[in-house]
Amino acid sequence: MTRRTLLLALLAVIATAGAAVAEVCLSPWVKRLAGPEKYLYVYAVDADAKDNDFLAVVDVNLASPTYGRVVNTVDLGSAGNEPHHMGFTDDRTKIWAGTLLSKRLFILDTATDPAKPRIVKTIDDIGAQTGLHGPHTYYALPGRMLITFLSSADGNPPGGLAEFTNDGQLIRVFKNPANAPYAYDVAVKPELNRMITSSFTPLRNYMKPLAQWDMKDGGNTMLVWDFKERKVVQTLVTDPVPLEVRWSLKPGAAYGWTNSALGDSIWFFARTPAGSFTAKKAADLGKGCLPADLRQSPDDRYLYVSCFMRSEIQAWDVSRPDRPRLHDTLVPGVSPNMMHVTMDGKRMYITNSLLSTMDYSGNFWVRLAHIGPDGRLKMDPFFDVDFTKFPTGPARAHDMLLN
Amino acid sequence: MRGGRRLAILALVGAVVLTAAPRAARAHDAPERAGAAALPGSPSPSLAVIGPAPPFTLVDPAGRSVSLADYTGRVVLLSFVYTTCRSACPLVTQRMAVLQRRLREAGLFGSRVGFVSITVDPDRDGAATLARYAKAFGADPRGWTFLRDRPDALRPVLAAWDEWTRPLPGGEIDHPARLYLIDGAGRIREIYSLALFDERQALRDIRALLGRPGP
Repeated sequence: MTRRTLLLALLAVIATAGAAVAEVCLSPWVKRLAGPEKYLYVYAVDADAKDNDFLAVVDVNLASPTYGRVVNTVDLGSAGNEPHHMGFTDDRTKIWAGTLLSKRLFILDTATDPAKPRIVKTIDDIGAQTGLHGPHTYYALPGRMLITFLSSADGNPPGGLAEFTNDGQLIRVFKNPANAPYAYDVAVKPELNRMITSSFTPLRNYMKPLAQWDMKDGGNTMLVWDFKERKVVQTLVTDPVPLEVRWSLKPGAAYGWTNSALGDSIWFFARTPAGSFTAKKAADLGKGCLPADLRQSPDDRYLYVSCFMRSEIQAWDVSRPDRPRLHDTLVPGVSPNMMHVTMDGKRMYITNSLLSTMDYSGNFWVRLAHIGPDGRLKMDPFFDVDFTKFPTGPARAHDMLLN
Repeated sequence: MRGGRRLAILALVGAVVLTAAPRAARAHDAPERAGAAALPGSPSPSLAVIGPAPPFTLVDPAGRSVSLADYTGRVVLLSFVYTTCRSACPLVTQRMAVLQRRLREAGLFGSRVGFVSITVDPDRDGAATLARYAKAFGADPRGWTFLRDRPDALRPVLAAWDEWTRPLPGGEIDHPARLYLIDGAGRIREIYSLALFDERQALRDIRALLGRPGP
C-alpha cells in the first residue's frame, strides 16, 4: 500500500465512521447489521392468553425459499405475559424482551444462531429487583441496558428507569419525579448529553379494557435529563400521552419529535440558544388517529406515523423540522401499530397489535411496505405473514427487530 | 520501518481530522444547533459502580507480565483494539493519545491514571507490531501499556470482558469495541463505545473519579 493510498483509505474510513449506525430509532450504540436483514423477530402475545407467548422468527432473506414465512418460534414458557417491546444489546448479540402484565423479562441469544434464538436468562420478578413494573423501552448503552418502566412495582405511578449490565445485573434505578410520575419511552442524544423520556399510563389503567380506562390517568410531560448526571433538568408539557421520543438523526442537531396519542398530534422539541428546551405542537394528525408509533427515515427527511384507530400510516415531510407537511398515506390493513424501518430506509415492516386491552381486530399480521426514493409508501402484495393460524391459535404481533 | 511509517501517518491523519472536525461541524450549524456548549457532557457525571473489573495478567511488548492488580489505587482506561483495524480502533487510540496529553498537562498521567490497550488479534499483533503501534500514536510508556499474550492465554481474558471476536472479510475483526473506565478499587465505573468515544468527557469522568472535578 502506498502512502497516498493509505492516506485516502484512512480519510475514507474517518469520513464514514460517524455514519455507521444501525436501523433508525434504535439506540445509537447498537452495532449495525453487516448487510441486508435475514430474519425479522416478532414479539407475539398469545391472543387469548391461554397458551404460551413466543418470539416468532420470520425469514426475510429475499434469496431464501422460505422468504416471508415464520420459520421458528421461541416459546417463552408461560402465558399471559403480554410481550410488548424488546431491544438489542449494544453488540447486537442479545435481545432483552419484557412483558407488560407479568413480571418476567427474557434475555435471548441471537448471535449463536440467528435463525434460532434461545433464552439464556429469565428474570422472574423484575419488580422485586427494581421496585418498578412494566418494562417498556430497551435502550442499549455501551455494555449496559437502560429500560423505562411504566409503573412502580404496585402498578401505580411513578414509573422510572433502571440500568442493567448486559448479562442482567441491576446497576441502578431512577424513579420519575412526583410532578411528572408517568413514564414511557427514552432516547439519548450523546453529543448533546441530553436524554428525553416521555409518558403513558400505569398498569392500574392499561390492564383494564380500553373502555374502562381513565383517560386522565396519563402523562402530558417529557423530561429532559442531563444524561451524564442522570438528572432531570427540565419538564416539557405536551398534549396528552406523548409516546415515542425521536431525536433528529443529524449529528449535533438539537431537536426532535414525539407523537401525542390522545392529542392526535406531532410535537416538536428543540433546544433554544439559551440551552433550555421548548416543545410545541407541530402537526395535527386528524381526529381519531391515535398515533401509536412514530418512526424516521434515515435521511431525517420523513416521519412515519401509524394511526391505530384510523388504520393508516402517514408519512410527514420534515424538511422544515418544526413544520411537518403531510406527504403520503398508506392503508396497510386494520389497526397498524409498530413500524420497523430498515437501515437503508427502503423497507418498513408493520404489525397491528397494540395491547390486548386495546386491540379491536382479531386479524393479526406482519406486512411490508416499500419506501420509494420520493418517500412514498407502497404495500408489498406478496409479503403478508398471517398471525392467526399458529398451532396455538391467533397471536398478537407487536414489536419487531431485524437480524 | 515501513509499518512504522504507516502507523505514523495513520496517527497524523487521525490528529488532523480530530482537530478539524469540530470546526467543520460549526460551519454547518443550523439555528437550532446554535446553543451548543463549548464542552460536551458534564463536569459532574454520575458514575455508578457497574461491576468488578475482571482481573487479568498479560504480557507487554518487552515480555513483562502486567496485571490489572498492578494498577490498584489508580484510575485505568482500558481499550480493546487491534493494529490492522481500519475503522474505530485507530481513531479511538488517537483520542486516547489526546487524552494522554491533557492528563499529562494536569499532572495526572502515569501517577494517578494509567491506560491499557489489549489487542484482540494476538495472531497478527506480535510484540514488535504492538510496540510500533504504541510508538506511532505517541503512547507514553510511563502510563500507557499495550498488552497481548498467546491466543490460549488471551482467550479467557477476552471472554471475561465479553470481548468476543468474529473474523470479517478482508481481515477485519468484528468485536464489541468498548472502552472501560476502572476506579482505583478495581471497579468498572463507565463504559464507552469506540465509535462515540469523546476524550473530553472521559477527562471529566477521570477527574470525577479522582475527586478532582474539572471544567
